[in-house]
Amino acid sequence: MSEDNMDQKEKQEVPDEKLPDKKVEKTEIPEPKEASKPETKPKSKPKAKPKPEPVAEEPGIFDGLYDTLFGKSWAMWIGCVILSVLSIGLFLISSPWGSSGGLLSWGQNIFDMIGMDLSESAPNGVTSLLDNRYGMLSVTMLIGALGAALMAKEFAIRIPPMGELGKGLAGGILMGIGAILGMGCTVGGFYSGWPALSGGALIFVLGLFIGTFIAVKYLLWEMEAMPKLSSGKSSILLAAKTKGTSLQPLAGAIVLVIGAALMYLYDGATEQVLIGFVLIGLMIGFVLQRSRFCVVRTLRETFLTGDSEPTQHLIVGLLVGLFGFTIIKIMGIGSEMSMVSGSFWMPAIVGGAIFGLGMTIAGGCTVGATWRAGEGHVKLWAALAGLVFTLPIAAEYIQPAFMDALPDSMKQQIFLPDTLGYGGSICLMLLILLLWYLFARWNEETGRFTAI
Amino acid sequence: MVEFDETLDCQGLSCPMPIIKLAKAMKKLPSGKVLELVGTDPGSKEDVPKWCSKTGNELLETTEGDGLYKYYIRKK
Repeated sequence: MSEDNMDQKEKQEVPDEKLPDKKVEKTEIPEPKEASKPETKPKSKPKAKPKPEPVAEEPGIFDGLYDTLFGKSWAMWIGCVILSVLSIGLFLISSPWGSSGGLLSWGQNIFDMIGMDLSESAPNGVTSLLDNRYGMLSVTMLIGALGAALMAKEFAIRIPPMGELGKGLAGGILMGIGAILGMGCTVGGFYSGWPALSGGALIFVLGLFIGTFIAVKYLLWEMEAMPKLSSGKSSILLAAKTKGTSLQPLAGAIVLVIGAALMYLYDGATEQVLIGFVLIGLMIGFVLQRSRFCVVRTLRETFLTGDSEPTQHLIVGLLVGLFGFTIIKIMGIGSEMSMVSGSFWMPAIVGGAIFGLGMTIAGGCTVGATWRAGEGHVKLWAALAGLVFTLPIAAEYIQPAFMDALPDSMKQQIFLPDTLGYGGSICLMLLILLLWYLFARWNEETGRFTAI
Repeated sequence: MVEFDETLDCQGLSCPMPIIKLAKAMKKLPSGKVLELVGTDPGSKEDVPKWCSKTGNELLETTEGDGLYKYYIRKK
């Protein structure tokens, strides 16, 4: 029944309604906002609030720079290009951007601490988080996203209805299983996997599409059958006040400095790789939040609104990665088999489908959950918790049995240039990207696969 | 100042739930009526206008303040 959420005609009283002159004394701290809780004044009549005037800005170089970086979200393609460049940077010093491996490291460290047996998934013992490149990458991605959200005054603790929290957790658990079975997530198994010319990554995305398709059907069904799940008590805390001075930008700057200072945990002479991962992770998190990078959105909109823009933007990023990765591999700077897993084809299709289902229900993939967690979406905290909890368990108990059950022909490590050469592989990738682009545009025009 | 007929509360919800709810609510709204959507997800700043232009519903006004994003949409 959508009446649940439609009957709140009453207007909430917002503090500045009492202040028609739009002046509010300086707010010291972003305080918990009682006003935004869904407590409606039953007596007040429906009336719209006048549009708040734009905050008066003193012109200056810093304001101009601030507006450019934080005024509004960046176009996603800009984010994609920078992310690909940063991923190329990681590849130059070690191996490209990945995300589920880092969260696996978080989980393994926690389970190791409480004494769980991890001998199957970590036969040589668990690497401590501080020494795990990808573990630290995920830590600083989260810090970078938090810093960026604060600097842009977009941080707030957004507590959704209980049903949504459950969906976040369930989505995280599914993603954890999918990432382990598919040997990667949307980053390692796709955004890095495609430019790495991995055959398994191509199949993984097919799986993602299948899972996303099912999840979109589910979400639409849920909206009709169980509208209560996504309505009910919700609240928002610590949001930046629009008028007056917000401390969020200052807090954001401090958070970013602390994130960068993590590099001093390492020896500059012998641990440059870890330092590189710490700093690049911080930048990745920052860019993720500012550009609202979202693989879920890219795939989901195919079946929801048909919007092809995210697809186009992602393709731009993939092209940059393809170019950079290929040069690194051909020149022998990085390992040819980097980001090429033995997931072709059964693990990739099964893992991809489960992952796709999970990420669409959660509303964010592994990195999507990470940066949105930094922005304060509690649903994605639940997704992150589900991931961190499930990844080690799936690696320890599910993956070995799954892999044992598969014949070798179904779990191959396919590096496309081994069969097609680099030229042929690049042509194949360009063809696939072109076809995807054409499909997305066609679907947008015709609405063939769209639901709303 | 925009007069509206219905309110859709999407506080605390993140992408894509506000858009799915919006699509459903708009389906029930009679033509010409105005819906107010109240959300907290910064992602809605891009999603809602895009959805409106795609579906031909008119986005009358957008306001933003204290962590709340409000959209006033007239049903086509």
